[in-house]
Amino acid sequence: MKIGIRKLQILRRTVQISVLVGLFMVPIIARYHNYAASNEIDRVVEKWDGTAAGAMISTLDTAIRLLPGAEHERAGIMQRDTDAAIAYAQQIRGSVWSADIGPLSLTDPLAVAESSLASKKFPWVLAVGLFIPLLATLLLGRVFCSWICPAGLMFEMNDKLRGVLRFLELPPRNLRMERSTKYGLLAAGLLLTTVLAVPVLGYIYPPAVLSREIHDLVFATFDRAEHGRFGFWVGGMSWMTFVFMTIIAIELFVSRRWWCRYVCPGGGLYSLLGTFRPLRVKLKHEKCTECVLCVAACPMGLNPMKNEMGMECDSCGVCISSCNDDALGYAIAGPSKPIAQTSPEAGP
Amino acid sequence: MPPKLTRRNFLARLGSGAITIVGIAGTGLFAALGDVDDAAACVRPPGALPEEDFLATCIRCGRCTDACPNRCITPFTEEAGRELALAPGARQFGTPVIFARRQACMLCNGEPGDGLLCTEACPTGALIPTKKSAVAVQESVDMGTAVVDTTICYSYNGASCGACIRACPFEGTALRAGLWERPIVDPEVCIGCGLCERSCVHYPQAIRIKPSTDRDPTTRGRS
Repeated sequence: MKIGIRKLQILRRTVQISVLVGLFMVPIIARYHNYAASNEIDRVVEKWDGTAAGAMISTLDTAIRLLPGAEHERAGIMQRDTDAAIAYAQQIRGSVWSADIGPLSLTDPLAVAESSLASKKFPWVLAVGLFIPLLATLLLGRVFCSWICPAGLMFEMNDKLRGVLRFLELPPRNLRMERSTKYGLLAAGLLLTTVLAVPVLGYIYPPAVLSREIHDLVFATFDRAEHGRFGFWVGGMSWMTFVFMTIIAIELFVSRRWWCRYVCPGGGLYSLLGTFRPLRVKLKHEKCTECVLCVAACPMGLNPMKNEMGMECDSCGVCISSCNDDALGYAIAGPSKPIAQTSPEAGP
Repeated sequence: MPPKLTRRNFLARLGSGAITIVGIAGTGLFAALGDVDDAAACVRPPGALPEEDFLATCIRCGRCTDACPNRCITPFTEEAGRELALAPGARQFGTPVIFARRQACMLCNGEPGDGLLCTEACPTGALIPTKKSAVAVQESVDMGTAVVDTTICYSYNGASCGACIRACPFEGTALRAGLWERPIVDPEVCIGCGLCERSCVHYPQAIRIKPSTDRDPTTRGRS
């Protein structure tokens, strides 16, 4: 049981990192598709040798040529099969805001809400993209936050930096705020979206911001390379990066996991959708020794010892792996009732 | 351990929450309202809804950008528009746009499938799914109209060129050759793909796309 949970944490981190790497890969794959469609891959790989753009394209080309059927033999030399390479490149596109992975179309419920409220329509394509994320959230709760969200990964790494600050004896402040702020911001944002007829929350929602900025950064790098200018170009990024960096600074110095705990409108929507989820983290009172390790570990600032994991819990399982007494675990159960006192009836 | 909930504590929490909401929502409001009417006229991908509906429906996810085989669709940012001195309006930031001079829409010519890839990729219906057959494209795509500047076009000024006419996907109808290869545009047939502007050998371009202002793929009515 214990080892299984540790493995689950490793798996979670692997998924998070893959998503972040994927965010960089998707625009590179899109450009690969472009260059392959115009038979330019060999030319750009040769011409851009030794630059950032060239490294990205040639690495991807090498990777794609390893896939089955992406190469064929001509005149004794293994060559790229352009059509097969393009077919592989077309399998994935978009970002965590809305993605297309093979036959699956996935759209963030917040994006769906914003688009349909702003345009006052609900076309069929929106429902198709909404289906899998909505089903996953209804069954598992805020798992997007703990497993997929690339901003969440960055905030978790940022959280570890707080430990470094504490080690340097510069303890950062930990301001507590009202958790329902996120529902307020969600309501305010959706109201603004409806009134202005522009999806405004997408401009501050960190995963959407990161997706868009990484896309723009990679595309700007390639655009500059096409004009003979090389190197990463941060000019492709915008004021949205400034919003993101502000969140990072607040979380580092003022309030631990400030955005996810108190403010995130997308997290708020996932919380609301996951209120009646069957899969939950549950406390076994009889095994708990009240060591408070889980309380210190919980990234969302909840108290697993009081069985407090309601809609705010993102089921990340950090508390489970922090527990040395096997008192916490995933369970299929209804909404938990927070208990007043932590001590169970005294056992033998 | 969370501190005990006293009245002061409660008011402080309520206050900080309210300040956060007002601050962040205010930032969004400011960014969105900054200049509501400064929307730049730009060429949208095929099948795009009328501009106001498009700005409301599009979630700026970048799927059409990734799907485009000709890298002509770009997110509208300051950096992307700088070359052409076009800045996105506050509400246009990050929306897909085509700068025909840099790369024009080739209507997915030579790609697998029978639909325009960007319209198939769109998750919100901001781009209405469109088939890529000539009939379907003629029926519902209206990105703009080509306009020839006869004062600088080579063919109108003593030298035969005809590069734009060769590039036109509806050669002979949308763009036909007059005397000495002079390009003659038929606005009824021209869909504004921009291949003529892309191929123009004159600089600045003598044939340009005037973005459509009254496109509506839902009613299939073209101007």
